[in-house]
Amino acid sequence: MSALDQLQVEASLEGFLRQVRPRLKALFGHFKIPPQDTEDILQQALLALLYRPERVRDPEAWLLGTLRNKCLLYWREKKRKLYESVDTSILERMAEPLAPAQEGADFRKDLESALECLPERCRSLLSLRFELGYEPPEVAERMGYSPASISKVTTRCLDALTRHMVYPTPRGKKARHG
Amino acid sequence: MAEIHPTPEALEQFVLGRLSSPEMREISRHLLTGCPQCQDVMACLWDPADEAEEAFALEENETLDEGVGEAYDEVLDRVFARVVAAEAAIGVQRSVGHKLFEELMQLPAARRHLLLSNSQRFRNRMLCERLIEAGHEAGLSEPAQAIEISNLATVVADRLTPEDCGGGEALNGLRARAWAQLGNSYRVNAQLAGAERALCVAQSLLEEAPVALPDRARVYSLLASFRVDQRKFAEALQLLDRAAVIYKKLGQWSLLGRTLLQKAVVCAEANDVESQMRLLRQALDLIDPQADPRVFLIARHNLIDALNMSGRSREAFALLFHTRPLYLKAGDRMSLLRLRWLEGQVALGLQRIEQAEVAFREVREGFRELGQGFDAALASLDLASVYVQQGRTADLRLLAEETLAVFQAHDSEQEMLAALLVLRDAACMDRAELQLVQEVSGFLKRARTNPELRFSPPTTAS
Repeated sequence: MSALDQLQVEASLEGFLRQVRPRLKALFGHFKIPPQDTEDILQQALLALLYRPERVRDPEAWLLGTLRNKCLLYWREKKRKLYESVDTSILERMAEPLAPAQEGADFRKDLESALECLPERCRSLLSLRFELGYEPPEVAERMGYSPASISKVTTRCLDALTRHMVYPTPRGKKARHG
Repeated sequence: MAEIHPTPEALEQFVLGRLSSPEMREISRHLLTGCPQCQDVMACLWDPADEAEEAFALEENETLDEGVGEAYDEVLDRVFARVVAAEAAIGVQRSVGHKLFEELMQLPAARRHLLLSNSQRFRNRMLCERLIEAGHEAGLSEPAQAIEISNLATVVADRLTPEDCGGGEALNGLRARAWAQLGNSYRVNAQLAGAERALCVAQSLLEEAPVALPDRARVYSLLASFRVDQRKFAEALQLLDRAAVIYKKLGQWSLLGRTLLQKAVVCAEANDVESQMRLLRQALDLIDPQADPRVFLIARHNLIDALNMSGRSREAFALLFHTRPLYLKAGDRMSLLRLRWLEGQVALGLQRIEQAEVAFREVREGFRELGQGFDAALASLDLASVYVQQGRTADLRLLAEETLAVFQAHDSEQEMLAALLVLRDAACMDRAELQLVQEVSGFLKRARTNPELRFSPPTTAS
């Protein structure tokens, strides 16, 4: 019996969708997924449920679990892009040869202040990267990381920096949503 | 000079990565100053994805802005309409897949590959699903056919495109499951090199691209079975824990029960009987006996065996009494033989030696009739335990000779033959003890899936 058959036994697909609708809205709202981005996520998950070769005992739990995971992946991907963007922005700014002296000095000061608030390992890593212009393999060598892991470590440090920029911890008791 | 702040809309687009590079750079620059006003706005936009990934209570009446709620409603209406329309089409595809499967199975093996490689008609997702399923079923009932069928599933899976499957994630998951199933088919046929190769492909598919959670869990589960055969118990448990986490997330309790059943097998292999029994009891609480009678029966069977092996033969006997109807309901020859075998083992545990002997003889004959020489030999070794306990040295000698001859005729692994030779020689010298019989029997069971194992006889029986 397939997942589809199971749905047919328990209720019609329409009935199932009606029943699960409020929870879907609550879930997307909880994860703050912009409505326009929910369309693909939801459609993929529902089609996957209908295509499942084996019986899905609790289709609602299956669907909500799948969607929750997709929402987490959605934000993980968004954040990855955001870190890349912050990284590129800083690297480009540091490399600008013609920035006015005062502006360049202010930028460096702001960057230093932000790095000061990060854990020591991140501070050292990002200082090497931004201020001294080291490439990842050089950073790995200087800090004793394996070349294979430096990318992950850098991402974690960029996460800390971005988090500090958008939501610094001293002020940031965690709200429900983040 | 008044400071210029990005608008809340621009900040939202920044979080979502939807601005141009110069705009992203400008906002990054601004946020780097630690602007508290913009940070307040950002605090409402920042996502919840970094919260602890534990289940959260999803309140249906969680307050949504009216506009957001309406926007979600519009999306849900559109998606629901498309999915309802797709439902019938999926039903048709399933039916076509089943027909293609029947057609394919009627052809000679050589023609099947040719057809799958050349005919567009057979580039069908549901055919692939059916082949994976059939490969799994064959692994249980006709292991020799399992490899061929699972191989066909990989041929179909590798020809499909994301469009055939409704997206890249679905295709990746299907391919990963097809390759993992092929690995498992090799495994049940004790072809470990083939199993390793196929499972490596499945694993790399999981690493390379997004794969849906249930597909991922299935691959972990099959990979874990292989790791058990390789006696890499820690890795197997790690994989099964990952699968268990996924099934919990998805609320699939019966599949979680199956995973615990697999974990219990790992504990049994590692001689951790207490953990094995604890896991089996948990699994039995989760597996639905109505919906999954065969899996439920396997869990019960293993629990009875574990109780008996740990010296709690009375409890085993009581549970066997209550489980007998399930075997009879299953009704197939293998299930009935396994019941009879377990009855013999429990009888032996209760020192009802004569009952045990009758049962082991029946089981041995049954397996011989089915052409399952290996299981017949294992039943013979249980019979040997009876003879040792009864001091029937002549019968034991004859049995040891017969069993060795069967293995020699089947060109078995050298180490298996070595173990049986040790037993035969000890029997001939009237020096075979119960411990030796049990060592040889245990070794044969392990060596069946692990030809690398070496037999070392107990020192007292040399």
